[in-house]
This record gives sequence, structure tokens and C-alpha cells, in this order.
Amino acid sequence: MKTSRCNSSIGCGIALVAIMLALPSRLPGQTAAAKSSGGNGVSATPWSVQIDQVDSGNLDLAYSFQIAIYENLVGEVNKTKQFQQVFRDGDLKASEVPNLLLLKTTVEKYTPGSETRRAVTTVSGATKLTVRSQLLTREGKVVLERTVNGDVRFFGSNLRATHNLARNIAKTIKQSSWSGSGQPTAILTGQL
Amino acid sequence: MDRFVVSRNHRRAYPLGRRHALWLSTVLLYSSLSASAQKITQPGETSAAFSTRATHLLGFANARNNSTGTLSVQDGSLQFQQNGKPGAQVRIALIRDVFLGGESKQVGGLPMTLGEAAAPFGGGRVVSLFAHKKYDTLSLEYVDADGGIHGAIFQLTKGQGELVKNELIAKGVTINSRQDQSTKESAAEAKHENK
Repeated sequence: MKTSRCNSSIGCGIALVAIMLALPSRLPGQTAAAKSSGGNGVSATPWSVQIDQVDSGNLDLAYSFQIAIYENLVGEVNKTKQFQQVFRDGDLKASEVPNLLLLKTTVEKYTPGSETRRAVTTVSGATKLTVRSQLLTREGKVVLERTVNGDVRFFGSNLRATHNLARNIAKTIKQSSWSGSGQPTAILTGQL
Repeated sequence: MDRFVVSRNHRRAYPLGRRHALWLSTVLLYSSLSASAQKITQPGETSAAFSTRATHLLGFANARNNSTGTLSVQDGSLQFQQNGKPGAQVRIALIRDVFLGGESKQVGGLPMTLGEAAAPFGGGRVVSLFAHKKYDTLSLEYVDADGGIHGAIFQLTKGQGELVKNELIAKGVTINSRQDQSTKESAAEAKHENK
């Protein structure tokens, strides 16, 4: 009985010390965050994004694929509701927006598939796309960088790969720790 | 008396056949002049509209994706109209680029796919081997009023894509130096299928 009371008092003491140690370290963090958000006075304004046209690099990517990726991206990024406005490449109104990010898409790998082959063999003939997707500020600072895949393996036309790719890019942006209302500081790289 | 003599002389000088021929040639000359004047003014107003059946895959103005309708070039704009619905249109002056491509697609849609899946002893695979048809894809790049770039893709019967492209070029669309990918694409697909 006596030993249990002793144990509980030791536990309480440890918990108290832990709280006291944790509290001061957390408070400066909050102040710093407040400073960073208040310092430039931009985080209150939500960010907008401009979707750039797809860069196929040196790959022999069909033009219809480039158009389809671009158009699907505009639609899917709009659906995420992460950005105040979604602009198309070349839109003059984008220059008037204070907080603007650019979404650049560069195709890294493309495997042309065949719908006929998919239908006949089921296991082969997949169309695969791998792109590097970057969110940049106007100054060229990379906020988010990911390698994203999109493919069509069983049913559907070859262009369906572009829809899947755009959906994956939008999902990556939504799930990343970068938030549309916050300050883009950390560079996030990875693969989906 | 004098008048009679003059009249007789005149009649001799210009017999009936000649006078008629002169009159007729004057009428013909006048009518040909008026016809050429009409030709000069007409082209902009009554040029025949070009139209073909097409499936809109994505991106064209406010048309629904994967919808079938009529794609036409008329009155200085490219129009896509679904049956019984108001059409979507883009002014030809706003089109920046046109590309042709090729795709092979299964005919019959979902019912065909389900039928193939249900066919016993893998019979569906054999059917799907022959149930594919080649199509042209027509990709367009155009700008909106704010300068934003749009892309649109149409699927047309084989051979129709070239006609639409030629019609657009005739109406003043400039084509970039980038090569059409119909031949390259088909070759790549064929190579992939032969693997």
C-alpha cells in the first residue's frame, strides 16, 4: 500500500517535470510561427496556382497526351479546393494575383501501350507515364517536388493514363504537408 | 423621203441577224460583269460549311466530355454540337495549333466489354482482337479571352481528321513546326503490339 502510493507520487512528479520541460520549448515555437506569419503578412491571403503546359522533355510523347494531362490537371487541381484560384498557362489575370504558385510538370518516362493488347492479353500493353511535378513560387523557389505515376493497365483507352496521372498529382498536393494557406518553406520531395 | 432612204441604207448596213447578235453580246457582257461582281462579295457570306461526326473527348469550350455530335467549321468558328443541344464554339482566330494523331479503340462500348468478359473459354479475347477500330484524334490548342491556353481533343473517323485540319488551315489557322504524330504514333503502337 505504501509502495503504491510512493510509485504514484513519483509518476506524478515525472509527469509534472515533463510538462514543465515541454511547455517552454513549445511556446517559442508558437511565437516563431506567429512571427513568420505576421512578418510578411501574406499567409492570411490564400494561394492561387497557375498550371503550366506539360513539358515532354526529349520524349516522343503524343501531343494529345500533353493536352490531356494539362486539361485533366486543371480540372483535378480545381477539385482539391486547396487554392483560391486556378489559372491556366498564359492567363493575364494571374499576374495580378499576389500569392501565386506555378505547377510545372515534366514528363520523365513514357511507355506507350495498346488498348488491343490489353484487351487480348490482360497482363501486357499498359500505358505508363512518370512525371516530375513541381510547385514553385514566382521567384523560382521549389515548394513541393514529387515524382508521380499514372497508368492504365486493364480497361480504358490510353488517354485514361493522363486522367489517372492528373488525379495522382492533385492527391499528392492535397496530402502534402504544404498547405495552401500557410507559408511554403519546406521542400518536399518524394515519390507517389 | 430622206428619212426613208436613210432607214433603208441603215437596214442594209446592219441586217437583222447582226443586230440581234450585237444586242445579245451586250446583254451577255453586262451579265458577266454583274456575275463577277457578285463573286467578289460572296465568299465571306455564303461559303459552304464543313461538318463531320466527331466524339469530343475533352477540353472544348463547355462541351461535355466523351459526347458525340457534329463538328463543323462555319462563320469563322469551329463548332461542336450535340444532337438537340446548343453548340459550343471557338473562333478560328483563337486557335493556335492543330495536331493529328491516331488511336485504336474497341467498338461496342461497355456492352461489348461485358459480353467479352462473359464469353466462355476465353472467346472474348478473340473477339476483342477483331473488335478494334482505328480513329483519328484531332488535338487543338486555343486561347480564351484572358489569354489562358486551352486544349481540346476530338476523335473522328479515320481520314476525317485530315479534312478538318485542312479546312482549318484554309480558314487561316497557322500550324506550328511540330510534326503530326499520326504516323509516328501508329508506328509506335504497331511496334509495341508486335513485341
